[in-house]
Amino acid sequence: MDYQSMLSLALPLGVAIAAVGSALGLGKAVGSAMEAIGRQPEAAGKIQTAMIIGAALIEALTIYALVVFFIAQGKIG
Amino acid sequence: MGIEFLHRTLRTFSVVLLVFLPFGVYYFGVYPTLSILSGGVWGILNLLLLIRLVQQLVKPGGVESAKPVVLTLVLMVLLFVAGYFLLTIPRFEPWQLLIGFTGLFGILFLKALGRVLVKADSQPSAHSDIQKVI
Repeated sequence: MDYQSMLSLALPLGVAIAAVGSALGLGKAVGSAMEAIGRQPEAAGKIQTAMIIGAALIEALTIYALVVFFIAQGKIG
Repeated sequence: MGIEFLHRTLRTFSVVLLVFLPFGVYYFGVYPTLSILSGGVWGILNLLLLIRLVQQLVKPGGVESAKPVVLTLVLMVLLFVAGYFLLTIPRFEPWQLLIGFTGLFGILFLKALGRVLVKADSQPSAHSDIQKVI
């Protein structure tokens, strides 16, 4: 298998792995936030803020993977 | 540290982008600057929609009406479609878009670091004026 075929296989696979990782992380974060708000409803604002920052960083990971995909895509054929 | 921290971060980043605009055009050229700016604006919109979505979905008492949630989700999908088109514009380099997008996290990190350094989340102290600003 040549370099370009390997790259064209690895690129979507890499994005998919990043997306699955982000989905798992985001699911865990939201689940924990809901649990925490259920336990302490008065702290909802603080929990939301922490969750938004966490979610934004997790989301950024997938976006980085996608952008790397676009950058590396230029090297195929 | 409440939601207003994120709004302050967004405001600061908008100012940073505005200040960067003339310098970027002068030193890097129009298209790289526009590319970085687009990445930054995309990041701002993304965080705004994320804030809206979390505020609507993750709260005590549950979701009151599905309409605003669906609208936010539709807007997020549109934003991602716009992101795809930004990435495919030939004059816009993906890494430049990424720099603009990452700038928001840089500002977020610096503001959080500032809060830690002046102990803004602890009890009010002699630094309370600084705490309010940061």
